[in-house]
Amino acid sequence: MNNYETDDTFLGRWISGELSKEERIAFEKTKEFKQFTIINSEAQLLEGPTIDTEAALLKIKQQLYTKPKVIRLKQIMRMASAAIIVISLGLFLNSSKTYTTAIGETQTVTLADGSIINLNANSSVSHKRFFWDTNKGVTLNGEAYFTITKGNGFTVQTSIGIVQVLGTQFNIKDQSTFSLKCFEGEVQLTVADSRKKRYRLTKSMQVNIDENIVQESVFSEQIPDWKNGVSVFKNQSLSIVLDELMNYYPIEFESENINTNRLFSGRFTHDNLKTALQATLVPMGVQYQISNNNETIILSE
Amino acid sequence: MIKKEPSICEEENYNQLFRNLYEPVTKYIYYKCGSLQQAEDIVQNVFIKLWKLCATVTFSKAKSYIYTACNNLFLNEVAHQKVVLKHQQSVLEHTDYESPDFLIEVDEFRVQLKNAINSLSVKEREVFLLSRIEKKTYKEIAEITGLTVKAIERRMSIALKAIKELLGKHIKI
Repeated sequence: MNNYETDDTFLGRWISGELSKEERIAFEKTKEFKQFTIINSEAQLLEGPTIDTEAALLKIKQQLYTKPKVIRLKQIMRMASAAIIVISLGLFLNSSKTYTTAIGETQTVTLADGSIINLNANSSVSHKRFFWDTNKGVTLNGEAYFTITKGNGFTVQTSIGIVQVLGTQFNIKDQSTFSLKCFEGEVQLTVADSRKKRYRLTKSMQVNIDENIVQESVFSEQIPDWKNGVSVFKNQSLSIVLDELMNYYPIEFESENINTNRLFSGRFTHDNLKTALQATLVPMGVQYQISNNNETIILSE
Repeated sequence: MIKKEPSICEEENYNQLFRNLYEPVTKYIYYKCGSLQQAEDIVQNVFIKLWKLCATVTFSKAKSYIYTACNNLFLNEVAHQKVVLKHQQSVLEHTDYESPDFLIEVDEFRVQLKNAINSLSVKEREVFLLSRIEKKTYKEIAEITGLTVKAIERRMSIALKAIKELLGKHIKI
């Protein structure tokens, strides 16, 4: 029996040169020694696979650097979409709702608190879409009649200033001239200029402002004339009348040849252009000619 | 003064580790599984993981981390195949045995040797190839495989005996 058969680490130690001298000499005398030697030397002539380390490193780097980029881009997209959501939500919550009337058109708007706005022709009113109850403000462009439910803090923003309201009915006309008429209750106008002048109006009081000239007076009608389908004028310049006509009829005037400063008293209807022109221009001695497309009225003396 | 270990998070150090370890580790896994594709995939995955864990693995621990992690990954997807071994290019011409007569035929013998190696169990095959082809000492092999030197000696002995049993008849004395 040879050592290599009885000692289970013998051959292993022979390979690593760990055999004692005696063990080695005895082993070299066996007939298997040559076989083991050939196996050992032949095995050492073998080669493993060829491995391209640099190619593998490159491959890994590509994976390492593409993955985080994707993640980063995703994060940016996520943050961007979150920001967009926040911003658009903010804009949405802060957005306003606007009602607009075309020429010759009127519209009735009922607000969340039951207040009613009758919007006259060629006008618009807007209010915040949300949380309106905490800040009952509307912005007016043009003319409207307000019937406001009792409660605090209703305001109308106009180009002249702010109209503050308790439960009341009033009409605001904010066009070439400004006019505030109180039909019931009490309103207060704060002019948005440096003096911040305030006007308190009770029933049947009106304020007219024409190029910084303020006129306070009383009126007698129970509802605004426009709600009856007419416009009423008392000693107002023809230019204002023409502007008013353009609110109700889709027309333009060529008025270079006439004096538009002359004063007009009278009324015109909102539902018939011919009648309206006759009612306003004939008494003033103005000749007029309607162009072919019915859009331009040429005025002459 | 304690010298601070280089950080693997530094790309330079990481590259150095990769260049030092990729080839030997891949060969080690190859000797176990016999598929170079599988071996490379395993080792590359471990290196990618190492980069992500670079802050938690120290430079000196990286080597054993990589071998252990590769080993674990290998265990998860074993598919033992035969290893393909080549002969060194220069060898065929000068086989300087004292009397080559006792080899039936060198080529035939070498084919048989490769077959014999492939017929070894994975345990013996990896130890045998790490020692004879990769010329690693038993101590190094013990580190890689997590075995003791004595266990390596034992496996080496078994491998040699098994190969001799298979090849003995081809070697004329």
